[in-house]
Amino acid sequence: MTTLNNSEKRSDQWSQLLISVGETRDRKAFAQLFEHFGPLLKGFAHASRNEGWFPGLGDDLVQEVMIKVWNKAAGYNAEKASATTWIYTVARNCRIDMLRRKSNTQHLPLENEDFWHEPDEETPISLLQQKRSEDRVQASLAQLPKEQDQILRKVYLEGKSHAEASAELGLPLGTVKSRVRLALQKMQLIVSKEAQE
Amino acid sequence: MINNTHHHPDENMLIEFSAGTLETAASICVSAHLHFCSRCREKLLRLDQVGSQIMSQSSPIEVADNAFDQVMEKIDSTDLSSTVETSPAADTTAKNTIGEGFPFSVKKLINTSLISKNWKRLSSSVDVARFKTGQDNFEVALHKICAGGKTPKHDHRGTEYTVVLKGSFSDENAVYREGDFLIREPGDVHQPMGAQNGECICLSALSAPIVPTSPLGFLMKPWLRINPM
Repeated sequence: MTTLNNSEKRSDQWSQLLISVGETRDRKAFAQLFEHFGPLLKGFAHASRNEGWFPGLGDDLVQEVMIKVWNKAAGYNAEKASATTWIYTVARNCRIDMLRRKSNTQHLPLENEDFWHEPDEETPISLLQQKRSEDRVQASLAQLPKEQDQILRKVYLEGKSHAEASAELGLPLGTVKSRVRLALQKMQLIVSKEAQE
Repeated sequence: MINNTHHHPDENMLIEFSAGTLETAASICVSAHLHFCSRCREKLLRLDQVGSQIMSQSSPIEVADNAFDQVMEKIDSTDLSSTVETSPAADTTAKNTIGEGFPFSVKKLINTSLISKNWKRLSSSVDVARFKTGQDNFEVALHKICAGGKTPKHDHRGTEYTVVLKGSFSDENAVYREGDFLIREPGDVHQPMGAQNGECICLSALSAPIVPTSPLGFLMKPWLRINPM
């Protein structure tokens, strides 16, 4: 129970700071966010030694993401996602665009964040549900069997496609796909057969 | 928004989309589907939470001492009169009329990357508008099938992703309506038909060439050939 409360407070803290940045351009709040997320973002960049990876990627990503955080903070909606999830999506999109820019000589007219425009009117799940599910994700990640934990890290942290993960681990593609699904089922994030179908 | 979509990307595709590792052709269509499908948006939010937790539990790496100051310097040099970034959709939506109700990424493609401003006739019932994407491994286009229009039978040598943006069409297997997401793998021969009650507009992304199989197929060539720009 205590851990749940702590994590709730923690996620609240970052979300509160992000709201302050959005509402009042609060530089102190931004500095605190930077201190916490900067090193995580750099770690995130360094985990992905894929095509297009280059030595300065870590520092570039930290800079690019944090500038976006500052510029977009006004549009942050705490009811939709915690600051951590929100910043992750900014970082993921930036990382893809940076890797793409490095490995493609030709310019794609879309940036990755263009793929992530949700209709504005709706709040998909309530704040409470959102927090609960985030806490559950955090707790259940720690309980995953090693091979499932490993595959999720490859996919999310190292940014490997299923096909790349399959080649790296020497596993058939089908095994990789089912292992990823199994991990998410264990975390109760997906169900094997949709009830409504 | 009411969720009327019945054909969705599978879970592994959503996972790869959430992790940012899905190939671009597929990503464009998954993104268009999400615009119509609240169920997949909800799933995606949970998948993003997995990504964010994995990121926040990963090993942090110390940033340079002056990293924060550098960021603030950049911010201050551009943050004129407290410009708050508004959604880039704001200026693109105003201009266009074809894309009413279309997903953001499609509107942006329509506004920035149409090869020609006009529909191009492919056959008596199909028009195409191709996008210039600058990529040579996939092609993205809009197709318009007129009411009741039949398209030539064709086979796929590569994978084709399709999302219905407006109206509906059917093939041997099902009826596809607004927001529905389809994948055609190599070897799938099909003959889509527009609904009787109105034209149908689809977004399609093709990750390799498609080969026509019927005598009329040559008409489809411009549509189905990969055309690197």
